[in-house]
Amino acid sequence: MKNETYHKLIDLYAGRELPEGLDEAMEMAAFNDPELSHEMTTMRKTVDALQASSGDTFTEESYQRILMKIYARGGNIMPQAPAPAHLQYHLPMQG
Amino acid sequence: MPNEDAKESLAEKKWLARLAAGDADALGAIYEVYGERIFRYTARMLGNRTDAEDATAETFLRVLRQSATLRADGAFRTWLFRIARNLCIDKLRQHKLLELPPDMQYGGSEEKSALSVTVHQALNQLPLEYREPLVLCDLEEYSAKDAADVLNISVPALKSRLYRGRRALRDKLGSLLEGSKHEERNLSQTD
Repeated sequence: MKNETYHKLIDLYAGRELPEGLDEAMEMAAFNDPELSHEMTTMRKTVDALQASSGDTFTEESYQRILMKIYARGGNIMPQAPAPAHLQYHLPMQG
Repeated sequence: MPNEDAKESLAEKKWLARLAAGDADALGAIYEVYGERIFRYTARMLGNRTDAEDATAETFLRVLRQSATLRADGAFRTWLFRIARNLCIDKLRQHKLLELPPDMQYGGSEEKSALSVTVHQALNQLPLEYREPLVLCDLEEYSAKDAADVLNISVPALKSRLYRGRRALRDKLGSLLEGSKHEERNLSQTD
């Protein structure tokens, strides 16, 4: 049964929150300890994968749709940037 | 940067005062600064664009409705994220009641790498108490103190949830992380 400090050090290592010297000391310790090595590597990989994953992008369409929802629910909002031409409603040409 | 924070806080106070006075430009300015952050946060919490847009719009409407009573004491961002968080929790409860399946179109799979999609699907399967610290600290890059303020918990409690959340996510990503085996061999000579 590993103690709390053991897990805390792995957590800090995973989040790159350890001072440089301690980071290296952990890696040295893992050199002879496959279980520690596995914990350190998989936890750091998890944090890296999470941080590298891109979320939903805030598109121009989303920006405008949110504005429209605010208007529709009675919010008086003045956008700072004008809507791009391709999102503006065009009336058909009069004959 | 303290100076930047102070400037931001001062600007927020001005906007909120103008908002309380009914100035439509003020809400637009606040939306300009925080709209994207709130959308990203709600999208990560809810797992789909439509609900995220809805929750983002409602967040700013609540800012508008409560602007007269709001104390602009520099904690505006925390307050804003708390509103968004409460709206997300309400929506998640509704989804649970209606037993809606998770939206597989989250983020537009074609736009994102397979890894990103898998990570977000795993994240969305985590209990809320683990997902929230991961979203705030690892994705939105909040400090532990700021994230704890948004969640209204202590910093040690936040860290505990964050670390347990990372472990739970690691367990869900298990097979995906198998690729790390050979890196482990580099760390451990006995492997």
